[in-house]
Amino acid sequence: MTRDSATDDADRLTRRHYVAGAGTLATVGIAGCSGGGDGGDGSDGGDGSDGSDGSDGGDGSDGGSSELEIIHWWTAGGEQDAYQALLDGFREEHPDVEIVDNPAPGGAGSAIDTVVQNRVIDGNPPSTFQIWPGQALTPYTDEDLLEDIGDSVWDEEMRDAYLGDVVDLARPAGNLVAVPINIHRLNNLFYNVSVLDDAGVDPTDIDGPEGLLGVFETLDAETDVTPMAHQTQSPWSSLQLWESIFIGEQGVDAFQTLIGGDVSGLEDEVRSALQLLADYLQYIPEDAGSISWDQGNNDVISGDAAFLHQGDWAAGQYRSAEDFEFESDWDMVPFPGTSGVYQSVIDSFVFPTGNPSPEATEQFLNYAGSVDAQERFNPVKGSIPPRTDVPMDEFGDFLSRQFEDFQNSNTQPPAIAHGTAVAPAIQSSLQEVFANFNGSQDVDAAYDGIVNSF
Amino acid sequence: MASRIFAALTRDEGSSDTDESPRREEPSVRTDGGTVTDGASDATTAAVGDDASALGRLRRSRFLESLPFWGPPALLVFFFVYGAIAWNFVISLTGWEGLGSPDYSSLSTEMYARLLSDPSFTAAFRNTLVLLLAFTVLSLILGLLVAILVDQKIRIENTFRTIYLLPMSLSFVVTAIFWSWMYNPTNGLINEALRGVGLDAFTQAWLADPQFKLAAIIFALMWQFSGYCMVVYLAGLRAIPESQYEAARIDGASTIKLYWRVIIPQLRASTMSAAVVLVVFALKAFDFLFVLFGVNPGQSADILSVMMYRVAFDRIQWAYGSAVAMVLFAMTLGVIGPYLYVQYRRGEL
Repeated sequence: MTRDSATDDADRLTRRHYVAGAGTLATVGIAGCSGGGDGGDGSDGGDGSDGSDGSDGGDGSDGGSSELEIIHWWTAGGEQDAYQALLDGFREEHPDVEIVDNPAPGGAGSAIDTVVQNRVIDGNPPSTFQIWPGQALTPYTDEDLLEDIGDSVWDEEMRDAYLGDVVDLARPAGNLVAVPINIHRLNNLFYNVSVLDDAGVDPTDIDGPEGLLGVFETLDAETDVTPMAHQTQSPWSSLQLWESIFIGEQGVDAFQTLIGGDVSGLEDEVRSALQLLADYLQYIPEDAGSISWDQGNNDVISGDAAFLHQGDWAAGQYRSAEDFEFESDWDMVPFPGTSGVYQSVIDSFVFPTGNPSPEATEQFLNYAGSVDAQERFNPVKGSIPPRTDVPMDEFGDFLSRQFEDFQNSNTQPPAIAHGTAVAPAIQSSLQEVFANFNGSQDVDAAYDGIVNSF
Repeated sequence: MASRIFAALTRDEGSSDTDESPRREEPSVRTDGGTVTDGASDATTAAVGDDASALGRLRRSRFLESLPFWGPPALLVFFFVYGAIAWNFVISLTGWEGLGSPDYSSLSTEMYARLLSDPSFTAAFRNTLVLLLAFTVLSLILGLLVAILVDQKIRIENTFRTIYLLPMSLSFVVTAIFWSWMYNPTNGLINEALRGVGLDAFTQAWLADPQFKLAAIIFALMWQFSGYCMVVYLAGLRAIPESQYEAARIDGASTIKLYWRVIIPQLRASTMSAAVVLVVFALKAFDFLFVLFGVNPGQSADILSVMMYRVAFDRIQWAYGSAVAMVLFAMTLGVIGPYLYVQYRRGEL
């Protein structure tokens, strides 16, 4: 700007100039704001005006390897306590690692998928995250997004401690990529002892899924309790019940064929299980469509419902209920026809590639696979440890019995409704089929839907 | 800073331009970059001072003067809104699935063909249309009725207005959970009320029975949004002069005739603006369904926005989800476009 212009224009400054100037300032201001924001986020936060931002940036670049970011969905009640117990144990062994807790609760894990997937696609994965093993890992293994931890974490000792089917779930593509930390059983049939006593029903003596339907009929005719607590608001409960019916009728080999994708070869078997499920759904609470599974489970506790088919996380609710004791008030049998089967719902942690803290992640995964971690985590979570050498002193009667069943089980098949058995796209598609089935109970449409899902 | 750069640019172009104009000398010519340019041209040659007429007009134009104001926001909107839509469209032409990167080398309309043969898309599309029409029309009617009633110079009118408008201020999450309790077949208020008046035969499993699911959702949404319609209509009613009511009365019009012939036809603008807002909300009723049913409401209540989320984030089929999103976008455009056009024709834009 020249001297002339300054003198020339001094008397020419009008409102329009001021307005133009203000506009310019606003533009620069906006640019400045966004620039400042960038600085704060990035590693060069030091030159931002905010001192604390700057020091944060410094921490991130220096000690990235000692900061462990964990994404998980254990935010409710006992799950959260269990997770904290796990972290406490890890902190004792590795006090130098700072844990950045990043929960993504909600939607039974569907929220966490969104969070993790977006971060992985952006090339900004967390140190480790919670995920179902098995087929749920395939979107990641397809793109080589998980490190092979077969050498670094899975040593001989650890491999020996896990049962075969569980180890297989940790290597969906051949390499070991996940560390299972807990196992829930899915094929349980919980019941209220006094309700069944009053009705004169012996739950240990039910002959297959078909026999259970007979028991429902008896209960419905002779008592005024709801034969089976169930929810149809979301489809997963019906899907897992159908899985158990199928295994109960056809056995695990047919189930493995089914999840392998050969549905049309098993048309009659699939239809028969669907028909039986439709029959079961006549004996569920009237309000099943507007409650969650734990609201339904309250009916079992109060004696308004007799049975509940659910994963053994349901037992946590019995434990916290007052005056409701294992064996005297409630008990559980394997779903009829599935006694040697321990259908597994598993959580695991993985090692994403491009890891921000490789060292800390490896330490954490090693810890998660240890006896100490699983002994701290599982009693609180209400699950059994996947390691067979964990002492059961802390686990209580029910879990100890489950653990015994687990060790004596012939087979530990994966679960469709809980991600281990089929790829996420197939699982989601099957959920949709069962969402429709809950409403229509149309066997033909559901069969077609299942065929199309695979 | 921006204006100085701009001034420098125009000066350069000015000096290379040969089409000169004497009008440039007029002292009244001032543009936003004028201070610098004037000084600079004084200091250099007369040729620059005699600027091109076209350029002069350009520099005087309101377009450039206002650029610093609408320029940055427009740029941001174009980049983050229209750019994102365009990119979404491109993704819908790929076959992107899973956690890898999209392959832009082979684009096809395969995803759209797949939409047409997908029964769950057909169901979601149908439900979206039904929801859109039924919800909008019913909410407008209900809102109009309530507005007319509230407009009758009643006592505690403000209280009523607040009561009717309150549901609108609640989040979908709250109302969804609230209505799932209302609709509970065993102890929900709706069925209890029906039983209370002896209508046991009409009790239903509202949210479970595929026959009633969508209707129950529409009713709940209507409850939430008719208050908004009421406020819009109330404002419209207040804008109609009292004399028109009186004139109609003197001419012997009945109340119904008065409203039907005189008042309601004047509420067209209110109806338009309320309807557009409602339609857009209907298309976005995602939260309500997601809270009630998760990603799988079943084909009796599935709508496109839920399907889009399910396909993209639950199944990681990004391209297919993008295709659903484009259909949704086209529907929104189908509603907003005519509205904007009408507004434009009337000169209200």
